[in-house]
Amino acid sequence: MISRKHTSLFFVILPLLIVFLFLINLWYGSVNISWIDVLDTLMLNSNQNQASHIIILQYRLPQAITAMSVGIGLSISGLLLQTTFNNPLAGPSVLGISAGASLGVAIMVLLGGSMGLKLSGNLYMLGDMAVVVAAFAGALLVLLIIIFVSGKVGNAVTILIIGIMIGYLVSAIVGTMQFFSSSEDLHAFILWGLGSFSKTSLIQSISILIVTLVVVILSMLFVKPLNALLLGQQYAVSSGFNVKFLQTIFILISGFLIALGTAFTGPIAFIGLAVPHIARTILRTSNHRLLLPAVVLIGAVLTLGCNFISKLPGYDASLPINAVTSIVGAPIVIWVIIKGRRMSNG
Amino acid sequence: MDNSKFNSPDKIKPHLSSDNCILRIENLRTGYNLSRSKIVSLHNNININISKGELIAMLGPNGAGKSTLLKSLTAIIPSLSGNIYYGNKNLNKLSRKEVAKLVAVVLTDKIADRYLTAYDIVGTGRYPYGSFTGKLTSSDLQKISNAFKVVGAQDLVTRVYYSLSDGEKQKIMLARAIAQDTPLILLDEPTAYIDSPGKVIILNLLKELVLKHNKTILLTTHDTELALCYADKLWLMGKEDYFQEGKPDDMINSGLINQLFDRDGVEFNKKNRRFEIKKKI
Repeated sequence: MISRKHTSLFFVILPLLIVFLFLINLWYGSVNISWIDVLDTLMLNSNQNQASHIIILQYRLPQAITAMSVGIGLSISGLLLQTTFNNPLAGPSVLGISAGASLGVAIMVLLGGSMGLKLSGNLYMLGDMAVVVAAFAGALLVLLIIIFVSGKVGNAVTILIIGIMIGYLVSAIVGTMQFFSSSEDLHAFILWGLGSFSKTSLIQSISILIVTLVVVILSMLFVKPLNALLLGQQYAVSSGFNVKFLQTIFILISGFLIALGTAFTGPIAFIGLAVPHIARTILRTSNHRLLLPAVVLIGAVLTLGCNFISKLPGYDASLPINAVTSIVGAPIVIWVIIKGRRMSNG
Repeated sequence: MDNSKFNSPDKIKPHLSSDNCILRIENLRTGYNLSRSKIVSLHNNININISKGELIAMLGPNGAGKSTLLKSLTAIIPSLSGNIYYGNKNLNKLSRKEVAKLVAVVLTDKIADRYLTAYDIVGTGRYPYGSFTGKLTSSDLQKISNAFKVVGAQDLVTRVYYSLSDGEKQKIMLARAIAQDTPLILLDEPTAYIDSPGKVIILNLLKELVLKHNKTILLTTHDTELALCYADKLWLMGKEDYFQEGKPDDMINSGLINQLFDRDGVEFNKKNRRFEIKKKI
């Protein structure tokens, strides 16, 4: 068992790390801005017309807030799904919800493009919002199908398999649409698929953060049933919980978080699957009373870190975030899991 | 299928208003729905009572419907028809939480989690009590530590459940059921996968729960010889609605045990109370 000291150290260091990474994200970018200007801007002391003021408030701040919020949202959804389905491989991609989002966007960009709606190309302002709506609608559509299915079949494995199948089905439709679309539209769609935290305005990013935090607080109410589900569905029933109802609630919460994140940033790989594993291994616990807040903190640290790395090349365009999360994250997870194995065996 | 032909009472009539009766099963039909039109029913008309302070062992071959009956009694699996009464309350009219305060279970389900400690697991036994989110109260903590004491697993409290032996795991699941503080405990094959001394330890524990802690216990098992030693009552279950209830001695003497289990040259020796190869005369 992990010592209490170790656990409280974790909950002190991680918030500090988040603040540090957050500030680094505001400070570092293709344009050099001094630390003094960063702090001035945050204190609202700077001249509104100053370039640094505009860059930070209109670009870097919303980007950092979005990165953090989406990291938190995806990580929480990953944890809820892994517990609900009692499956360590469950994550945002398995229920087909992010595939649903890409279907929405594909219909918008690819089909819309070929039907003469010129939203594509660089995805201008109006196009951007339309893409968000399309992605959200697509994700919600798949989410509703999954909820409907889970109402019919109680069995978690069946729901999981159906979710994966819906994912394949949707991807196949998207693939077909890609095949028949113009290269310009295709380019726009692929760019969306690479993910980006920099498509949101300040207001949007703050809204995403608030909504995410509300949902996170809501999920904190479910510590007991989540812990009960770790023993399996039948034991959870015997502990007095309505498992079918809980299953629907958790799919709904995590589906909503995935839809929200994917709509504004495109599909972000890896975070949702990995963060719960990192949290469990570091804290050596499955107790959701610790795991939920831990996952929030690690999710924020990881996405802020990845966002910083994606800006490292220093040019106008940053690296695609989807690639960074996988390249940075996958080795971390492999290391963490091997380390965890050795500790639990030894 | 016509149910009426199964209505011949199995020599036992339910005592409808016995104070001693903790669980009453009426015209219970167990099984499961494969699809809307396809229903597999295992037993069509079970009528039986469980009295306070009994240790009942359910015996029967695989597929006889023992586990299904056990899970039907706690509404983990819905029964196809009939009624189950806890005291005078119908199971169908009780909430999940209310049921969880009346009956605890130990199942054969494996727990895959690698980090939960024995304490975490026994702690879930207290979940039916207290609020949806609430932390464990001091009385909960008391009940949990008492449960560890009863099963003699104080030394396992902080151990990771996953790292325990099968016998230790079974003790922890039993402690969880004890912490749940219900008058009735149902156990599905509590002695499976456990070595011989371990089996005796578990059954001794169960007997002690009945004698010293006012529990009533219904379990399924394939360890027939042990069950005959420890159980106050046997439920013999077979396919095609075979269901018999009785005391171990009566059932042995009347040859019911032989009837149900003897096969392929193996017979139950009434004198030694164990299964042997049939001697050629």
